[in-house]
Amino acid sequence: MHFFRIAAFLIVSLNAPLLMAREKSEPLAVAENSSVSPVSVVRVNVTSQPYDFLRPWSKRAPFQRRAVGAVLPGSRVLTTAEQVANATCLELEKPDSGEKSPATVEVVDYECDLAIVAPCDPKFLDGFKPLAVVEPALGDELAIWQLESNGTLLKTRAQFTTAEVAPYPVGDDSFLVYRLASALQARDSGFTLPVVKGGALAGMLLRFDSRTQTADVISTPVIRHFLKAAAVKGGYVGFPSAGAQFAALRDPQLRHYAGLTNGNGGVYITRVQPGGPADQAGIQAGDVLLAIGNDPVDQDGNYIDPHYGKVSIAHLLSCGSSEGAEIRFKLSRKGKELSVPVKLTHSDPSQSVIESFSIDKAPRYHIVGGLVFQELSRQFLKEWGPEWTKKAPERFLYFDQYQDELFQNDPRKRIVILSHVLPSPCTVGYEDLNCLVVTKVNGVELKSLADMEAALAKPMDGFHRFEIQGHPGEIVLDAKEVEGIESGLMQNYGLPAMKRL
Amino acid sequence: MRHFWLCLVLLLSALPARAISIVEVRKSLVRITNTSQEANYRTPWNPGAVGGGTGTGFVIGGNRVLTNAHVVCNARFISVERENDPKHYVAKVLFIAHDCDLAVLSVDDPKFFQGTVAVSFTNQIPQIESSVSVYGYPIGGDRLSVTTGVVSRIAFQPYAHTNADSHLAIQTNAAINPGNSGGPVLQEGKVIGVAFQGFSGEVAQNVGYMIPVPVVQRFLKDIEDGHYDRYMDLSLTTFPLLNPAQRRALGLQEEGGVLVGSVMSGGACDGMLKPGDVILSIDGHAVQSDGFVELDGERVEMPEVVERKFKGDTVAFHILRDKAPLDVTAKFEQAWPFHLQASEYDVKPRYLIFGGLVFQPVSRDFLQANPTDNLRVRFLYNAYVSDEIYKDHPDLVVLSGILPDPVNTYLTGLRGGIVDAVNGCKIKTLQEMADALAKPADQYVIQLMGEGRPIVMERAAVDAARERIKTRYNVRNEQNLSE
Repeated sequence: MHFFRIAAFLIVSLNAPLLMAREKSEPLAVAENSSVSPVSVVRVNVTSQPYDFLRPWSKRAPFQRRAVGAVLPGSRVLTTAEQVANATCLELEKPDSGEKSPATVEVVDYECDLAIVAPCDPKFLDGFKPLAVVEPALGDELAIWQLESNGTLLKTRAQFTTAEVAPYPVGDDSFLVYRLASALQARDSGFTLPVVKGGALAGMLLRFDSRTQTADVISTPVIRHFLKAAAVKGGYVGFPSAGAQFAALRDPQLRHYAGLTNGNGGVYITRVQPGGPADQAGIQAGDVLLAIGNDPVDQDGNYIDPHYGKVSIAHLLSCGSSEGAEIRFKLSRKGKELSVPVKLTHSDPSQSVIESFSIDKAPRYHIVGGLVFQELSRQFLKEWGPEWTKKAPERFLYFDQYQDELFQNDPRKRIVILSHVLPSPCTVGYEDLNCLVVTKVNGVELKSLADMEAALAKPMDGFHRFEIQGHPGEIVLDAKEVEGIESGLMQNYGLPAMKRL
Repeated sequence: MRHFWLCLVLLLSALPARAISIVEVRKSLVRITNTSQEANYRTPWNPGAVGGGTGTGFVIGGNRVLTNAHVVCNARFISVERENDPKHYVAKVLFIAHDCDLAVLSVDDPKFFQGTVAVSFTNQIPQIESSVSVYGYPIGGDRLSVTTGVVSRIAFQPYAHTNADSHLAIQTNAAINPGNSGGPVLQEGKVIGVAFQGFSGEVAQNVGYMIPVPVVQRFLKDIEDGHYDRYMDLSLTTFPLLNPAQRRALGLQEEGGVLVGSVMSGGACDGMLKPGDVILSIDGHAVQSDGFVELDGERVEMPEVVERKFKGDTVAFHILRDKAPLDVTAKFEQAWPFHLQASEYDVKPRYLIFGGLVFQPVSRDFLQANPTDNLRVRFLYNAYVSDEIYKDHPDLVVLSGILPDPVNTYLTGLRGGIVDAVNGCKIKTLQEMADALAKPADQYVIQLMGEGRPIVMERAAVDAARERIKTRYNVRNEQNLSE
């Protein structure tokens, strides 16, 4: 049902910009003088095909999207990670001649939403003028670069109004974004576009709200950090963090409780991720963070950035140093000041119990006699459509939102679920079971779906026993019958394989 | 003016082939007008809004009037009238059973009952397709209305009054409208049920429900000792045993039996049955593999056996545990005590105000008045029984609101959180919270569930703010701890 709605939505969003473009013969945007040669950008054409997490053995219908990528030194192109997500076919296209080259994703980081794409033909970008990266100042007039369908470069003015830390679209991370005010029009390349200052790259457009004419832009410090990490030999490692959460410390009663007697800065540490950098440095929940390095932290968790002014310390931690760097935290604990070195590291999202995103990866599944087992992921929950946070099974939403708290001391690496049942002669009476947590199979605890295979190798008295958390407790299949119907089941439901691990 | 009916439903009546005379029925029929006051869960210190409506009742033995609980719930003033008597008489609720939507009224003035005829009940469930007549005052009219139809279906149905109970109900196609609630449904001159709910025309056509005689009789028997003890409950879940492999694995040779999926701690079967047991029979009635039993010649769901039980009764199970047969007997000591998922009536909302922070226990009524997107609150509410949340949190005490004042001005973002501890003491009930906040201390540290910042309230500041907040926000009492 909801698949249909998604499809309909896509059609609308693809068509609308074209209609708009036709209606407005006079662009609202003011083009800069067009003396700059347009050979610093290419089209990035992508065919995407995500997996269907409700039928994890199959993929959804493929769809195309286009973007404008920024040409970087070394015959590389910078675009957003979302643009290349689940790509099955990736091409670069020259704006003027329309010449195309297949391309590959060299480095991608979904958390900061950036990707480096390289053409398969190494000479494809010869003659292009690579863009340098520049850091704009608040108030600067920037330009957002688009391509007309005939290849002409369209530059729309944009005023740089605000720099602040905000959530990025994939994953749970927040990084510095630039907010621009701009009357940007829709073109056939969507809103994945370079932002330029004086002929140098000043950001990549992250999202554009046509109603408020506000553009959110991936900021230069994030791009620089990404490019630097991408150049490191030995593999890309994502952005560092401290593994701690904090709350504002404006409340005088809370300040008093935390042992602060004077001053008005500092934030209250509310959570320290077990085993994370802050934990290893000995920082505890209830400590007050007063300064990072030489930068004092104010009562809301901001510091004074030399370039952008008041900005959240999240930016200082993610972009102010590199992976593995050591940085001093000045703390107050029960009124006593202390200073500890914290070694910032990247927290790998694929290590969380419920993954916040599953892109370019085939979902794991295991079908036993018609019972479909999977690992719980946020992507699975997102299959409930645009309103998934309200419509997906509430227990799983709760697990996802509070996973840090719920699974902190849980030996499980993943939550194995019985997602649904493909009715078969083996599953009579189980047809309506769905979205249940499976804890054990044949007495073996499931730490992830990978444990299922070994557990199934040892049936108990000829039966496979699946222990369900809560009602109905346990369900049973006949091991021989399961084996016997396998080929029939695959044929009946068109399953390419009974498992993918 | 509101006319009572539930969930878009109402009652219907039909003229039986050999009806008692309309004159007889008129003598027992009562029109009820209730002025009610609904509890206010949004500003619980305020008395609720006054409303009301009309419904139907009928005279039963002992100079009493039987009607629906939802006709006379939250009553502040009830008046009753009879056909052809212009006088309005004052009535009082003698007993009210929200779980089966029935109530018994008394009328002080003995003149009210002069000339009335107590109706008699049939002893059996009517046959499908037999005709029935519904008597009452639909849409508030003050003259008797009669509709007729047939018995369409007899099955377990949710009772909309509490949103949490299910009992046997008889479905009929006779027109049922607001105001019919509490009226008698007759067949061959005897009452076969009490009209109580139906669907609006937008949902379904010609679907009305009556409370059948066994449910009415159970209620009247329960109150014989002067107290309504409520329905007893097995407090367990069962899973049909339709899968052949599962049946073999459980050692089942013959037909029948259902699997015990979960047993709620504190319920009647706690310690007697456990998950994995197979219930083969209940009180001697064989349990079929889909969970039905045969009772009085009808196939009914297993809990129907328990429907006729009273506090202090027992229920006998023949079960299979670890492939060995076993007989166990469970005793009903008390009705299921946790009804936070049920709509409640005739209670005062519980709350506690401390430094302008309003704390309330989560309940169906609370959530209806204070809808929330807070996933923790929603999940713990919905999983309250299935995950036995009640064991650690008989009350889920939530910071439901903040009456802004300098003492709490930095706490606005914390609204909606559930209280975990006060000054290090875990909080299980609103009463415990009140006790913890009454203990002398310089400051009160209220930790909400999850890993956020604590709320710190200094005693002196709270004391200084008390009268100011009470006056500004018109709060007469800072707390109500009992319903």
